[in-house]
Amino acid sequence: MAPLSSYFLFPEWLNLLIAFLIGTGFGFALEQAGFSSSRKLAGMFYGYDTTVLKVFFTAAIVALIGSQFLSYLGLLSLNQVYVNEFYVTAAIVGGIIMGAGFIMGGFCPGTGVCAMSIGKIDAMVFVAGGLAGAFIFAETYPIIQDLANTQFKGPVKINESLGLSPGLFTLIMVAAAAIMFWIAELAEKRFARPEITSEL
Amino acid sequence: METRKKFSLILLLLALLLAILPLSANRSFIVKPDKLLSDVLSKEVSFTVDQVAEFIVKEDSTVQLIDLRSPEEFRKQTIPGAVNIPYPDFIKKDPEIYLSNKNIKNIFYSNGGIESAYALVYTRGLGYKNSFVMEGGVSEWFRTILETKFTGERISARENALFETRKRAGNMFTELNNLPDSLKVKFLESKKFSKKKLDGGCE
Repeated sequence: MAPLSSYFLFPEWLNLLIAFLIGTGFGFALEQAGFSSSRKLAGMFYGYDTTVLKVFFTAAIVALIGSQFLSYLGLLSLNQVYVNEFYVTAAIVGGIIMGAGFIMGGFCPGTGVCAMSIGKIDAMVFVAGGLAGAFIFAETYPIIQDLANTQFKGPVKINESLGLSPGLFTLIMVAAAAIMFWIAELAEKRFARPEITSEL
Repeated sequence: METRKKFSLILLLLALLLAILPLSANRSFIVKPDKLLSDVLSKEVSFTVDQVAEFIVKEDSTVQLIDLRSPEEFRKQTIPGAVNIPYPDFIKKDPEIYLSNKNIKNIFYSNGGIESAYALVYTRGLGYKNSFVMEGGVSEWFRTILETKFTGERISARENALFETRKRAGNMFTELNNLPDSLKVKFLESKKFSKKKLDGGCE
């Protein structure tokens, strides 16, 4: 059955409309969860609020479990699901740049757009910075393309490169997430900043 | 118990279930044996070499020929438009990689007809209604398309069309296979089966 777009030949506008609806729902959920506050995101770095970790990791493991059950039931063909390609060097360099921007700006790209849409000026500056970064990347691409393309591994899956079955890998991930959540809650107590969290 | 703990517990249990489930459970036969047998024995799942020759001459894009022979044999005699997936590789991998497009008729062939028949039963059993075979395989292709000459006194319009198609398909075949090796390898490389590149992801 799914992914729908590969079973039915959706016209482009319908694909975009579905993406728009999903994106709107995602943005709404982010804003409702308070992610449009940069203090909430910075809390992850300082340890007083680890909601970001818990929310995104929960989303990942729910999707991990759900997609595999759908595949077992024959409702989703996992071969057709996009797997992000892995450029090792680019992922490391880009991760450092993005992490630095994340903690300095107090948003990630998604929450930045969210906060911008509720009128936060710092978020507008943040998104403008992100776009400027994209522009600089595109313009300097000829210079950095060797760096960007080194150690290209293609669309690899972690469980395949470790030689684990998808199910076992899922179990390990879920267990790791549960342990991380527990540590995160301990951190929230240890680094509590009630004067900030009471306002979020 | 707090909701979050209950939720964690449910997720852990579901993941445990996934870890225990056999990996290939989603690749089991879904067609009942008697139905499968009558399906694969019916005329509807096979094409004659003449029909295949017509697809080739017309460059029908809704048809994909899949050559199950070894790469060496494939390089020696290539039917125009075919891709090579050696039989041992084919059964090792999930056929979804090759047969995911439901609008394309995938026609298997091998030297005689044994491997292609196996591949047909295997894929039909898994529920792929878009898999077919070429009757008689490559040996039949040689016998009918390349070697049969018209013998008779008067040719009917229908026979004329048939022999015309055979001749054109035969010419395409000979032309491709008479290419110098270096050119042919290059040609085949460019035609290699490539999984449709999916776009998307989150960046």
